[in-house]
Amino acid sequence: MDYRDYLNNLLNKAKENMEDVEAFLIKDKEISMGVYKGQLDKYSIAESGGLSLRGIYNGKMGYSYTERIDDSSVDKLIQDTLENSKYIDDLDPETIFEGSDKYENINNFNETLGNVPVSEKIDFLKKLEKEALSLDNRVFAADACVYQEFEQERYIRNTKGIDLHDKVNGAISYISVVVKDGEDTKTGFSLRIIKNFSELDHKQMAKEAVENAISMLGAKSIKSDKYPVVFENKTFADLLSAFSSVFSADNVQKGLSGLKDKIGEEIGSPILNIVDDPFLKDGFGSRNFDDEGTKTSFKKLIDNGKLTSYLYNWKTANKEGVQSTGNASRSYKGQISISPTNLYIEKGDKSFEELVNSISKGLYINNLEGLHSGLNPVSGDFSLSASGYGIEDGKISRAVNLITIAGNLYELLKDIEAIGNDLEFGIYGYIGSPSIKVKSLSISGE
Amino acid sequence: MIDKQVIEDVLYAALSKGGDFAEIYVEDKHNGSMRMVGGILESNISGRDYGVGIRIFDKLNSIYAYTNDSSKENLIKVAKQAASALNSKQIDIRLNLMKKNTTNYNPIKVYPSSINKGQKVDLLKRGYEAAKSYDDVISQVTVSYLEEEQNVLIANTEGLLVTDSRVRTRYVVQSVASKDGEMQVGSYSPGASMGFEFYDNINVEDVGKEASRIAKTSVYADYCPSGVMPVIIDNEFGGVLFHEACGHALEAEFVSRDTSAFAGKLGQMVASPLVTAIDDGTMKNGWGSTNVDDEGTPTKRNILIENGVLKSYLIDKLNGRRMNMESTGSGRRQSYKFAPTSRMNNTYIAAGDSTLEEMINNTEYGLYAKKLGGGSVNPATGDFNFAVMEGYIVQNGKILKPVRGATLIGNGVKVLELIDMVGNNLELGQGMCGASSGSIPANVGQPSIRVKSLTVGGRKEDE
Repeated sequence: MDYRDYLNNLLNKAKENMEDVEAFLIKDKEISMGVYKGQLDKYSIAESGGLSLRGIYNGKMGYSYTERIDDSSVDKLIQDTLENSKYIDDLDPETIFEGSDKYENINNFNETLGNVPVSEKIDFLKKLEKEALSLDNRVFAADACVYQEFEQERYIRNTKGIDLHDKVNGAISYISVVVKDGEDTKTGFSLRIIKNFSELDHKQMAKEAVENAISMLGAKSIKSDKYPVVFENKTFADLLSAFSSVFSADNVQKGLSGLKDKIGEEIGSPILNIVDDPFLKDGFGSRNFDDEGTKTSFKKLIDNGKLTSYLYNWKTANKEGVQSTGNASRSYKGQISISPTNLYIEKGDKSFEELVNSISKGLYINNLEGLHSGLNPVSGDFSLSASGYGIEDGKISRAVNLITIAGNLYELLKDIEAIGNDLEFGIYGYIGSPSIKVKSLSISGE
Repeated sequence: MIDKQVIEDVLYAALSKGGDFAEIYVEDKHNGSMRMVGGILESNISGRDYGVGIRIFDKLNSIYAYTNDSSKENLIKVAKQAASALNSKQIDIRLNLMKKNTTNYNPIKVYPSSINKGQKVDLLKRGYEAAKSYDDVISQVTVSYLEEEQNVLIANTEGLLVTDSRVRTRYVVQSVASKDGEMQVGSYSPGASMGFEFYDNINVEDVGKEASRIAKTSVYADYCPSGVMPVIIDNEFGGVLFHEACGHALEAEFVSRDTSAFAGKLGQMVASPLVTAIDDGTMKNGWGSTNVDDEGTPTKRNILIENGVLKSYLIDKLNGRRMNMESTGSGRRQSYKFAPTSRMNNTYIAAGDSTLEEMINNTEYGLYAKKLGGGSVNPATGDFNFAVMEGYIVQNGKILKPVRGATLIGNGVKVLELIDMVGNNLELGQGMCGASSGSIPANVGQPSIRVKSLTVGGRKEDE
């Protein structure tokens, strides 16, 4: 289908009724496969997408969308967008952007990924499962052994002159194993987020998942107390993900972020630097323009512990008389909001071993549960189910589970004592952290 | 939605390279949402989800494909692409699809899409005003209105052809209370498989006040102490305990692969004899009710546990093949973008005969968790966690003071045995449940219950 003509027709027709209009079109392709007991037991292919129309009528922005992208949808899209705008009474109106003077031109689409034959990807999974099952006779099953690959095309076109298109792709692969020793059951997981198929190493992934599971057998709780804690890099990244909304200027302006009125203030340890980097090579959040068509930019959010910037789209930027930072974000089903590109804690100078060696009695945490429910991004309070290992005299000792860690994000940022040199990205792919040592956290156990 | 002849052609194409079962799922869904922040209507979006999913079984292996383009030629192309993952011969089938009648458990009086949007904005304003004016500590209020009208058609090579219409309505208030630079959130979000008549049953002012009451209680609360103690979990959304701790592990997705703690335990005592638990997809206008599941099987009232004895799992078609058992009408999916799997509908612990007062009076020292937030579970190990949104310390049989920031952790198999009191005040609460087939509406529920001993995670070591 020729989207150019279709979108032109839609915009021309919509412009007859509204002041300015914008079309936002997403086309997704996905292929996914899963292996169980040596067989391809799940295979799926998909092509889908959606189209959003937003437009200004009497100074107010209306939105509507459809997944049925054909001529029969045009009139209803326009009618609904117009109708929806009438009820908006926002005092800080949304605008349609006329485009940046210049955009970076970094390619975020890896042609080679989709060219690897499906059979090779299935073979990889079969090898991965076989390897995991062979590593230890306590491995009971690999309950997930999956490869998923996606491609996304994005079109933004509006009556202010923006005509942008880009394409990104990537893949994730993960294995989850169940190990049993008598009545004791534990699970282990390993995940890779990649843009090059050659980065996948089945031996390494199998080893990681199996070791994670086996080492947790016999895990016990520990005595409730305050302990110094080392967080695994990916685990700290996931904790940071759950709190990333605090950097959004929208949440700040609405009083829903604890970072309100804190620009220029010391909010973290002096060794802490957090950046938002849209140009990171092979980053899952790498983009040359955001979802309003604004050029993206590299910025420091926390600079040696000081808060230096929030993340803005145009609505929130206009409210404060500043420029958008190129962090507008949306799905075709939703309104413009704000999200990071690649947000990560810059690496420090300590090896993981050095972080552990510096603790005489403490904990190493490599798993957190309940990130969607056990924390409050507004207050910064969290109380999360955790597991990991004890640290005794600078060495990792026995496995620990059925504990919770509790604290407050804003206190935690100040309590960071050392930062590892091992930056990794977490489960969402675009939020990263090195291993982190924290002075002290409340642990509830026995 | 799609011509019967086209459906048959697509099903034939899906089995053109082998396989023994094919299914088509057509979805056409209207979504509408509004959000008011600080009394100002910031968002008002409507739209249409539309797509088709095609599934093929080859014994225990499954293939899934989906697309937005429902033209005959594209659907046949997609069916053939999916089929190409198989490499054998077509089995001999003759289709004669007959449309099946279903029982309607969710009668709708007023379709939400037929109501003027101004009336919906008025609802938001009323909830906002009630929540904001509840108390001076309430600093921010967000109110959301949600409606959806989903029409599905499901057909398969067993000759099934069935349609279903799911209309859902939900109203969400989130209040923030601020005091001395501290902020705490309270939320309340009732919903049902109902149309706009839902608002004849609930009072939106009460919803707003409830959210603000929880936020205010939390902002004045001290941090929760940690430790292992008796926990009284109140009715309604407290049922998320059973949902997480046990419900997920009864799903055939895990049982069929023997990775659930409840695998192989049918007929065995798995819980305290006080516990009877039910999953009921037929509950009238229930948030998680449907007339047929997303595989076209009529929903049922399934007794999962009766007086402590495990009676049934939650089974979908594919995992039913693995287990050699019939579907329990539990195959669900978020949308055409997901292959269905075994899921919960409306799951609850049945009423017992204790009262909440008796539970509190009989507790020397413990936690009374009045409102729970969300939670999660590892179905293989049964380890669960969930957040307490509103909690109180109980001492010497009396409620002592509110506490905040508590998390409950434990193990599903063990916690069921530790339930030592079950109340007489069963209520249901509405949630969104996330798993491999997406995010779906599900009711959780229970009367007040007491768990003899549970790990409470908080920020204070002891009192």
